[in-house]
Amino acid sequence: MPRSELAERFRPMLRGAGARFSREAAQRPILVFEDVYKSYEQGAPVLRGMTLVIERGEFVFVTGPSGSGKSTLLRLLYRAETVDDGRILFLGRDVARLRADAVPFLRRNLGIVFQDFKLVPSWTASENVAVALEVLGLPPRLIRARVGEALERVGLSGRGDALAAVLSGGEQQRVAVARAIVGEPALILADEPTGNLDPQLAIDVLGLFEEIHEGGTTVVFATHDRTLLEVRPRRVVVLDDGKAIDVPNGVASDEYDNRLPL
Amino acid sequence: MLSVTTTRRAKRGMVREWRLHALSVFSLAVAFVCLGAALLVVTNLSAAQDRWAHAGRASVYLKEGASQDDVDALRAALTRVPGVTGARYVSSGDARAEFGREFAGHDALAGLGADAFPASLELDVAPDMPDADLTDAVAKMKLLPAVDDVETYQSWTERLARLVRGGVAASALLAVVVLAAVLAVVGSTMRLVLQRRRMEVEVLKLVGATDAFVRKPFVVEGGVQGALGAVGAIALLAVLFLMVRGRLDSELAALVGVEPSFLPWQVACGMVVLGGVLGAAASLASLRRLVAV
Ligand SMILES: Nc1ncnc2c1ncn2[C@@H]1O[C@H](COP(=O)(O)OP(=O)(O)OP(=O)(O)O)[C@@H](O)[C@H]1O
Ligand SMILES: [Mg+2]
Repeated sequence: MPRSELAERFRPMLRGAGARFSREAAQRPILVFEDVYKSYEQGAPVLRGMTLVIERGEFVFVTGPSGSGKSTLLRLLYRAETVDDGRILFLGRDVARLRADAVPFLRRNLGIVFQDFKLVPSWTASENVAVALEVLGLPPRLIRARVGEALERVGLSGRGDALAAVLSGGEQQRVAVARAIVGEPALILADEPTGNLDPQLAIDVLGLFEEIHEGGTTVVFATHDRTLLEVRPRRVVVLDDGKAIDVPNGVASDEYDNRLPL
Repeated sequence: MLSVTTTRRAKRGMVREWRLHALSVFSLAVAFVCLGAALLVVTNLSAAQDRWAHAGRASVYLKEGASQDDVDALRAALTRVPGVTGARYVSSGDARAEFGREFAGHDALAGLGADAFPASLELDVAPDMPDADLTDAVAKMKLLPAVDDVETYQSWTERLARLVRGGVAASALLAVVVLAAVLAVVGSTMRLVLQRRRMEVEVLKLVGATDAFVRKPFVVEGGVQGALGAVGAIALLAVLFLMVRGRLDSELAALVGVEPSFLPWQVACGMVVLGGVLGAAASLASLRRLVAV
């Protein structure tokens, strides 16, 4: 299914109260964090008035020291957590105010990849990828074809029938990436996707995300791995003291302030 | 409705955790065997009650001094009572001889005197004769000078009725036990299954499955467990029933007046449906709170 058709399918779900989908909305940034506050415990805020704008088709690294709130930022976005204050606009719709029963439809527009892969070990690679389309209720034949394509894109064609449990770490992460892209979501979120992989594999997996990005998908990639940030000059968002500090041309550029905690 | 995906996922879950499911089905079958056995007893007791309620005969015992004329007059009168289709005279000697044939070789009984066997008129009663009419007729018969006593075998019917009522009460109690067993067994099995498949649930929710979508296969699995438990119980009871019936000689059956019968198909189907519905409900109840992602 081409991306436009998929967008068609989900547009009503993402439409705000009364606000109709419009061409203008399509030109807006894909993702906006507006003055977001979040704390898990009283007196220990993780995000304190964080503001961040991500345009369609961008590839953005989110970095910062451990505990700075990278995972929290992503969890707020896919509504595993809710904000204390502020707005998170995804495709113009405020995620923070989505009703609980609309959350699944939000997640169908996102592809999420984790450090620990989150594959079902007793399922085959294909089954692990197919699940993202099964929840949409697509016909099995179409699912099979799309799963085959997705596995091919991540370099795993022919491994579809292998149980996830027997795959290597790198292969497992590729399956997870295939699952994230098979539904052709507008936005891919990756939370330390290379954290469990050795340095060479980490570079390979980053390459995979770059390829996906080249296909037009917006990618938000959280990592604290400095070497990945330096592979290419890319926009980096550093979380510090509950706020986002933008470094548009990457950590290697002149604008990058080396005093930032990394 | 159930989608292809739901049934496929349920099947996959059951195949991969077949030991757990088999254990659950076995436990449920044990509970259902108790219920089924009670229902089987009720079925046969009420068949016997039905049989005796329409025994189709009554005995009018005659006073010792009754003359042949008295007897003839009485017989003529009795055959005119609506519902009485025939009357046969059995003399004291005949009764003694009949008894002797049935209990040949029992010396202790052979010593019974002729006075232990009063003469009687054996009536054939139409099976559709209402109980009230029969009671009425009996009351009138007892007033006649030649009549000593009347036996309609109704007391047997009443005793059987009491037994049937007891059986029904026991079955109802066992149904409650089965209900509790299904809730407990399916509930804990599904919680265990859910625990083992936590990653599956987490993944489903991450890719945007609704709670209903996540739950459906688990509910199907619970329903299948319940239904299979009932089917297993019925199969086991059928085997036991055939074994017992094989050993039951025809004389005993004749004495009771009914052939033993198995659970009617409606009751058997009802048990399976009950198992399925209870299993599904128990599963649904135990899944109320899904893994939060
Ligand atoms: N569920 C939670 N309950 C309480 N505190 C939490 C919870 N999740 C995260 N925190 C706290 O919030 C802070 C930010 O956590 P978060 O996981 O977002 O950091 P991170 O930047 O992803 O760190 P890392 O690089 O180690 O993954 C940490 O101090 C953490 O202890
Ligand atoms: Mg983290």
